[in-house]
Parts: sequence; structure tokens; C-alpha cells
Amino acid sequence: MKKLVSAPALFLWAGAFLIVGLLLAFWWAPVDASAMGFSQKIFYYHAPIAETSLVGFGVAFAAAVMYLRTQDLKWDRLGYVSVRLGLLFAVLVMFTGMIWGKSSWGVWWAWEPRLTTFLLVCFLYAAYFVLRSVVEEEQRRATYAAVFAVIAFIDVPITWFATRLIPEGLHPVVFKAGDTGMEGSMFASFMISMIGMTLLLAALIRHGWQIELLKDRVTDLKSILGG
Amino acid sequence: MSGWGQIGAILRKDLIRELRTRDMLVSMALFALLAMVIFHWAFTVRGDTDLTYFTGGMLWVTFVFAMLLGLNRSFAQEKDEHCLDGLLLCPVDRVTIFLAKTVGNLVFLLIIQAVAVPVFVLFFVEGGFLEGLPAFLAVLLLADLGICALGTLLATISMNTRSRDLLLPILFLPLIVPLLVAATSATTLVLADGAGVREIGGRLLFMLGFDAVFLVVAWGTYDFAIGE
Amino acid sequence: MAAAHYRRDGATPLEIEIEVEGLRKTFGRREVLKGLTFSVPRGGFLSIFGPNGAGKTTTLRVLATLLTAREGSVKVAGHDVREDPMPVRRAVGFISHNAMLYPDLTAQENLRFYADMYGVADREARITELLERLELSARRHDAVRAYSKGMRQRLAIARAILHRPRVLLLDEPHSGLDPRAVDILDGLLTDIREEHTFVMVTHDIAKGLEWGSQLMIVEGGRIVYERAAGVDRDSFSAVYREHVRDGSVL
Repeated sequence: MKKLVSAPALFLWAGAFLIVGLLLAFWWAPVDASAMGFSQKIFYYHAPIAETSLVGFGVAFAAAVMYLRTQDLKWDRLGYVSVRLGLLFAVLVMFTGMIWGKSSWGVWWAWEPRLTTFLLVCFLYAAYFVLRSVVEEEQRRATYAAVFAVIAFIDVPITWFATRLIPEGLHPVVFKAGDTGMEGSMFASFMISMIGMTLLLAALIRHGWQIELLKDRVTDLKSILGG
Repeated sequence: MSGWGQIGAILRKDLIRELRTRDMLVSMALFALLAMVIFHWAFTVRGDTDLTYFTGGMLWVTFVFAMLLGLNRSFAQEKDEHCLDGLLLCPVDRVTIFLAKTVGNLVFLLIIQAVAVPVFVLFFVEGGFLEGLPAFLAVLLLADLGICALGTLLATISMNTRSRDLLLPILFLPLIVPLLVAATSATTLVLADGAGVREIGGRLLFMLGFDAVFLVVAWGTYDFAIGE
Repeated sequence: MAAAHYRRDGATPLEIEIEVEGLRKTFGRREVLKGLTFSVPRGGFLSIFGPNGAGKTTTLRVLATLLTAREGSVKVAGHDVREDPMPVRRAVGFISHNAMLYPDLTAQENLRFYADMYGVADREARITELLERLELSARRHDAVRAYSKGMRQRLAIARAILHRPRVLLLDEPHSGLDPRAVDILDGLLTDIREEHTFVMVTHDIAKGLEWGSQLMIVEGGRIVYERAAGVDRDSFSAVYREHVRDGSVL
């Protein structure tokens, strides 16, 4: 069992980066020159959250591969925790994206490729939990969850690519963030937020993983005492 | 016995069974035809509504849902009579079982399409279908392969769970969306805009890539999906 | 071979057909088999007794490659079940209380399917021979759905020995059979007794003693008792009650 030593430190680092990133975004980085204007500030949270969500699913993918290779349930627990956090962040992406969409395009929802991809990602990983809930036997549940986590992660870039196949004109608003290019101060603020968010994910995964492993330990001890 | 012989044996067994009982094919075909009629009423909001731009969507939504019916059946008998154990006892690569089941489902889907597509053309396509036929068939085959490969893999997983056929759509539909997007837009381009193979080349390539990726994924994970 | 068994008379060394060493199997974090070690010589008949959930069927399924154990070594017919499962599958026939037959296919179609899966060279001759032997020839073109339980079980035996396996694994073969079907099954076992090595999991102490040349009691994933055959029913029942907490099943 790993010691909890540096977990709080990880949370502190994450908090520090996120607060500094937020301050820089509002006080240092200039207001966006394009039509988006001040509402573009949400970008400093929205994009890092999106990236973090994908990192979460990436960790779940790696954990799934490790589980299938070793059949060690600790990797299943890591995968479970990572998907849970990835999904949480994916839902946040949808919300921040909708807020941004409302303020800059005037609509809560647009079938924009990235947002659409995240919508599907939410469905995909919601299915992961449904799958887990209908398999009683623990090893089998872990195996299926791992297989599905592998398939789902591979499907994410394919989905993103597919949303670009929809013929132009069928979706009214095309949003391209890279158009204006980013100034140095914007980029720096963005990167600091991004690092902060990634650290937050790492801290949460680590924390959640340890809780799951402790739960297993409790179950084991209970069965020893009870039996 | 070679893997090809075993694929043949499983395929023959499934075909004999299905042709004898016909429970899967009849349901799938009736469902497909009913879906088209319902789509007609659902989308004809005015007397003069032009449904041409909905053709791709109607067709592929119909086939994906019809295939869900078939996929649920394709492992039901193996599971119900414990035949899956009998199959797994045989000296057979698990991937061979996957390939045989995928080909079997593909055959069933093609049989349904052989019935449903002419009716569909009759209902919704106004002239000029034959020029687009090569492009249409290319879309059909590539989309079918992806639907059956991914569907077979996921049906193997869902049949081993408590909720069985309830689970499959939830796993299958979000994963198949990319293929559905490509097939739908390609079909609509062919049927509504008269596009040829060249115009939809990018989409065909995308579908080919999708099929290849998930065949490889299934290859790597099928042991786990069907195992213990 | 170092681990060769010797007959009672000490004359002929027998080759080991099934060799299990330190077999452990976990489902999730629940350990079902906690280190099993035993072996069966060629032509032997091992009867495994034990209460429900003791790990008997799990052991059998590991031998049949239907389950994989990560710890311990299991060799069947000279091949490791984990490293080299294909020759093991060819060498093993499995009879359980589930017939593993497709109800919509006829007896002949079922056997043809399995014969093709195993690559039986003389398919038609072998199928005809087995159907004769199991007295199913008259009904060979009937769908299995229309068969009685006893007939299905006979056909299941045909399915299991179709590919001339060296090892036959029997999982509660007598359970759910009517007396007539039990007689037929026993007659069959007598017929094929010399041709195979057997492992039988059973609740039926009389049958287990009748057939077994080796007896074993498993409880809680461990072997709690083993001996060679040659014990009467009463004293074995006493032994069973002594080793198994819930011995009332006998």
C-alpha cells in the first residue's frame, strides 16, 4: 500500500497553478481582439478541462492494457477512477462550452465538432458504468470494463474526425479558436492553467485510487474476520 | 482442422439454424420495412416534403437498429444451451470464432438489405439510382463490415452480462456513430447529389480505416471478451 | 518420467496423464482453489467429492482449458494447459449435466459440426458408429429439441468422445437423469472405460466409489483427503463427514 505522503502536496501544487493561471488570465492576458471579447476568458478553463478529460481517459486506457496483461485488480481500480474523473471533466467541458457558446454565438448549443465529440464521449463513458453495473463477477467485470475502455479510447479520435465529415452548411456555426493566434501572455496563462488542471487530475486520480484500494482491503479484512 | 475449415463449420451451423427457424431474419426484415414506412410518416411534415436529403439517415438508422436485433440473437442460442462451452472446448482460436460470427452476421445483414434496399429505392429515390450503384455498394459493404465486426465484439460482451440485450445498444450506438456519420453522409451524397465513388472517396477511406482499426482491436481483445 | 506411478503389484510403471501442481485459482479477490496437487495415471479414474462451492467444477474447467489459472502448473496429456492449450483441447472430452447441443439442429448436424471443429478425419463413419453404439441411429435426423433428457445426455456423450479424446472429464454426469438413463450412461462408461483416463466430479458417493480408482475429497479449495480405491461405502461416508463440515449432503 502506497503512503499518502505526497498526495496533499499534489493538491496544493494544483491549486497554486490554477489560482495563478486564473489571475494571469484576467489581469495579464489581454482581452481577446476578436468578436468573442471578454467571454474568451473562459477558454483558460474550458480548454484545460477538455485536455484533462482526455488525459483521464488515456490513463484509463493504459490501466486497461495493464489489467489485461496482468489480471491484477489494482489496475481495474485505477481504470475505474480515471474514467469516473474523465467523465466528470467531460461533463464540465460541455457546461463551460455551452456557457461560452451562449455568450459568444448567442446559442446554448451548436453542433460544433469538438463539442459534439465530447457529447458522444459522455455517452461512451456513461456506457462504461452501465457495463460495470451489470456484471456481478469481479474478474469478469474488470475484464469487460478494460476491453471497453480500450475500444472507447480508440473511438474518441475517430469520432472527432467523423464530426468533420458532416458536409459544410449542415451546421451553421463553425468556430475556430486558432484563427487569431495567441499572444505570448495568453499562451503563458493558458499553459499555467493547463498544468494546474493536469496536476489536479493527477491528485484526484491518486486519491481516488487509494480510496478504492483501501475499500478492497476493508472487504478482505471483513471476510477474514467474518469467515 | 484449419481455421478456415472451422470458420466454415460455425458459419454452416449458424446458417442451417437460422434458415430452419428464421426467427432472426423475419424479425429483422419486418423491422426494416416497418421502419421505412414510419420514417415516411414521421418526416413528411407537409405534402410536398422532399425526403431525398434524409435517405442516408433513414437507411442507416434502419440497418443499425435492425442489426441490433440480429446481434442479440446471434449469441443467445450459444448461451442458452451452454453451447458456448462446447465451442470453447474445441481446439479453436478465439479469433476464429469472432471471424465466423462476424461473417455470419454480415451474411444476415446482406440478406436483409437485399430485401430492404429495393423497397427503399422504390419508396424514396426518384430516378438515377443505377448510376450511383457502384458508389452505393461500396458504402454498403464498408459500413456493413464495420457494423458487424464491432457489433459482434460487443454482443459477445453483452451476452455474458446480466442485462444481455438491454446492454448492447448502449455500448454499440455511441461507438458506431463515426461510421454512421460517414455512411449516412456518403449515401445521401450518392442518392441526393448523384456523387460517384470519387466524390465520396474520403468517406470510403474513413470507413475502411474504421473497419481496419476495429478488426485489429477485436483481434487483440476477443480472447478476453469471450473468455472465462 | 520421474513422477511415474506404480501399480499395486509394483510391476508396470504407468505414465502420468494428468499432472496438477500447486494449482491456485482466484475469481476477483476470492480464492477458489488454494493450491491443489494431484496426478492421474493413464487409464486411471479419479473421483472427486466435496460440497457445493468446494472448487470441484472449477478444477475440472481448468483441466478443460475453459478457465485459466495464473498460479501452479497443470499438464494434461503432456501439454501445459496455459502455454499450449490446443493439444490439450484435442485430448480432452467434457461431459457435464449441460448437453452443449444445438436444439434446432439434428443429432447428425450437431455431431457433424463438432467433428468439423475437431477435424475428425473419418467424420461420417465415426458419427454412424457412435449413433449406433448409443442407440440413436433411428432418431439421427430429428432435431435435438424433440429429444428426451436421457437421449440428449447420450448424444452429449457422443459429442464428447467424437474426437477420440484420451481424457474424459465428467461433471456430475448422473445428475438429473432418470434411472433408465443412469443405466445407459453406466453401460456406456463400462464400454469406454478402458479407452480413456477419467476425472469425475460427483455428489453421488455410490457412483464415485463404483467407478473411481482414486478418490479425493475437496473442501474450501483444498484437498482434504485422498486414497486409492477399495473402501466400502459406510467407512468412506464416515471419512467424508469427518472432513467436510457440512457432510449431510451425502
